[in-house]
Amino acid sequence: MGRFIYRRLVHGLVVILGVTVIVFVVTRMVGDPVQVMLPLESTPEQRAAFEQKLGLDRPIPIQFVEFMGNLVRLDFGESLWQKRPAMDIVFEKLPMTILLTAVGIGFACVMAIPLGIIAALRPGGVVDRVTVFGSLLGLSVPQFWLGLLFIVVFAVQFKILPTSGTGTPAHILLPALTMGLPTLARLVMLVRSSMIDELNRQYVKTSFAKGLPFVRVVGLHALRNAGLPIMTLVGWEVIRSLAGYSVVVETVFAWPGIGLTAIQAIEREDLILIQAIVFTAAVCVVLINIAMDFLYKLIDPRLKLA
Amino acid sequence: MNKWRGLFLAAVWLGIFLTGSAWAACEKVTIALGSEPTTLDPQIREDGGERAVNDNIYDTVLTRTPEGNLIPHLAAQMPELVSPDTWEVTLRPGIFFHNGEPMDADAVVYSIHRVIDPDFNSEQISFFSTIKEARATGELTLHVITNGPDPILPSRLYWLKVVPPVHSKDPKFAEKPVGTGPYRFVTWQRGQYIDLERNEDYWGTAPRIPSVRYRFIEEPGTRLAGLMAGEFDLITNLLPEFTSHVPRSVNVLGLEHPIIILNADSGITKDLQVRKALNYAVNKMALANGLFEGYAQVAQGQLLSPSFFGYNDEVKAYPYDPDRAKKMIEEAGAKGQTIELIGTSGRWLKDRDMVEAVAGYWEQAGLKVDVRIFEFNEYLNRLFDRKTRADAIFVVSSNELLDADKSFSAYYKAGGVGASNTDQTLASLIDAARSETDEQKRQRLYHQAVQRAYDQAYFVWLLNIEDIYGMSQRLEWPGRVDARLLIQEMACR
Repeated sequence: MGRFIYRRLVHGLVVILGVTVIVFVVTRMVGDPVQVMLPLESTPEQRAAFEQKLGLDRPIPIQFVEFMGNLVRLDFGESLWQKRPAMDIVFEKLPMTILLTAVGIGFACVMAIPLGIIAALRPGGVVDRVTVFGSLLGLSVPQFWLGLLFIVVFAVQFKILPTSGTGTPAHILLPALTMGLPTLARLVMLVRSSMIDELNRQYVKTSFAKGLPFVRVVGLHALRNAGLPIMTLVGWEVIRSLAGYSVVVETVFAWPGIGLTAIQAIEREDLILIQAIVFTAAVCVVLINIAMDFLYKLIDPRLKLA
Repeated sequence: MNKWRGLFLAAVWLGIFLTGSAWAACEKVTIALGSEPTTLDPQIREDGGERAVNDNIYDTVLTRTPEGNLIPHLAAQMPELVSPDTWEVTLRPGIFFHNGEPMDADAVVYSIHRVIDPDFNSEQISFFSTIKEARATGELTLHVITNGPDPILPSRLYWLKVVPPVHSKDPKFAEKPVGTGPYRFVTWQRGQYIDLERNEDYWGTAPRIPSVRYRFIEEPGTRLAGLMAGEFDLITNLLPEFTSHVPRSVNVLGLEHPIIILNADSGITKDLQVRKALNYAVNKMALANGLFEGYAQVAQGQLLSPSFFGYNDEVKAYPYDPDRAKKMIEEAGAKGQTIELIGTSGRWLKDRDMVEAVAGYWEQAGLKVDVRIFEFNEYLNRLFDRKTRADAIFVVSSNELLDADKSFSAYYKAGGVGASNTDQTLASLIDAARSETDEQKRQRLYHQAVQRAYDQAYFVWLLNIEDIYGMSQRLEWPGRVDARLLIQEMACR
């Protein structure tokens, strides 16, 4: 067990380090933040002075050594755009994104598992067809459009929910729904197909023949055995939500999380903040992956952790 | 089933009640901005969100009328030139900051020194770079000394927000701004909103709206939805195509001018005939109507709005004359040749659409157009490249000082960051105007510069874009040419 954790952590560190280095090199290759930050009409002298103040005029290898030194202390420096420590900004925004992801994915799981099971019980039945059609629809709709549609219907037409922002529980409903719907669509399909497979196995038939209660057979034995692929997808969806969907959903709903901040930092060529955000995202991905491995073991004790 | 219907109806009624009550009184006005301020220190950043909020908390030494004329504000009268490089400023008596600090000559001197201090590294330095120092000469009088004569100093003082000398040294100053303005800072919930309240002791005209909330919404569709849902009273940068969807909208001729810089020194555009033909070829009116739904004016052959100092109203736009353009291209022997047109996408309103439309017109005139749309940073590399100038570069110039100097130094004058000509006559006109303190003479120099650049067709002048604001039914505001969102000028119906 200890050996497993050790190996996983080393593995994770390599991933995080690799991502960080790539981001460092790429951001410095493609852009010049000084050009973007000062007014277009600024003179070359003013630009040079500004660049020097930011320390961006020094040779890249020197910047890199310093960067790696500070990385050990988790100090990325001050955001060029916001002029405050980049990690402060990340820690301020990350909880908002985690909240949004938790509600969105939570909603998707709560809806997908019962729906998928019901659909699987009678493949080809009415519920199954509606479910399959609905999830195809959910998968085909672009998320930003879905978000705007929700705003127009629920906030502009019926005026029952706010259009954007945060503050009350009502504010989270539309963004979380937008975040969770594609996940719900994918998850429902997977639950359905996994359950169809399981329900056709011999042990299920035997259990029924023995007279075990229906709920126990389907809800406990079959679902547990179908659980591994479902778990994998949920973990994957959590990662995609944190480090992907959040950009779109948060922009549409002006939700002050890490995704919106990331897109703003990229627009402003804020190298420091981009690094801090990508680093944090990498850490999240690695941690979620490790957590998933433990959950596999929990569901299926036969698995060896290695 | 009945129970659910009841719940649903209750929710709808609650919604109507909540929005209805918000509409009944005009206690609080909500303004949606495109970006959140990064700081509330008024002197450090070049940041539209910060400016929108701080314009109401701080006062400037001079201000402008909604039409753009400079008038005294914290100053009691317009600054006077006492020697070629020294301006005397006299302040109004009896003005205090929200925390009780006096607003006097020392405070203004302090504010000037703070913003020009190289160690402070202000992004606004280009607005103040000619100021050498300031010196208090009395309790309410001071001298501002410039590096050589600087006729634009009054415009610079319109940009200078006066900060309190004591409180601004507080490390929390950037989060708790204290000014002399008509609104006081109340709270800033990062990522969510900023609240201001009316300054009951304001020294000037009493503001009418009691309190203001700023929200920050980058996505234009979401801003629009918020206005339509009755959550906002004012949204900025409304897209032209949405004006018919909002309760009310206001449009004002703004500070932005899309132009195309032509390379006058080499390549196909070296020939004056070709440069003129490129102007005749473009139907600017169609651009204004087709792309901006009429919310733009045809630029009158100059990089200036009528409200700017230096505007020459005798110069008119090159008319749209496709036949003449075609003929001139043929006569110049340029027919079928390739012209490179550089642009970017998503930085300015309809930037890419304008470039593509212009390319279409040029093709009609008989040229092959190589349109190259770059990512913004790469685009800037081309715009600032002093060694090899592209044939034609699209850019949107914005001039917050409302004075010809800034735009002309950057784009008209040989060697300017975005200039593509080496016309020494033009450059010397701009240089002379820069240090000419006689207003009349200076005006004449700019008129000559405008005329010369027009005759030489160094640019294809396209449009002057209007700022469009979406507003709720209840808000009353005429808009301003300088795009400042002054709550003091707003009222509820």
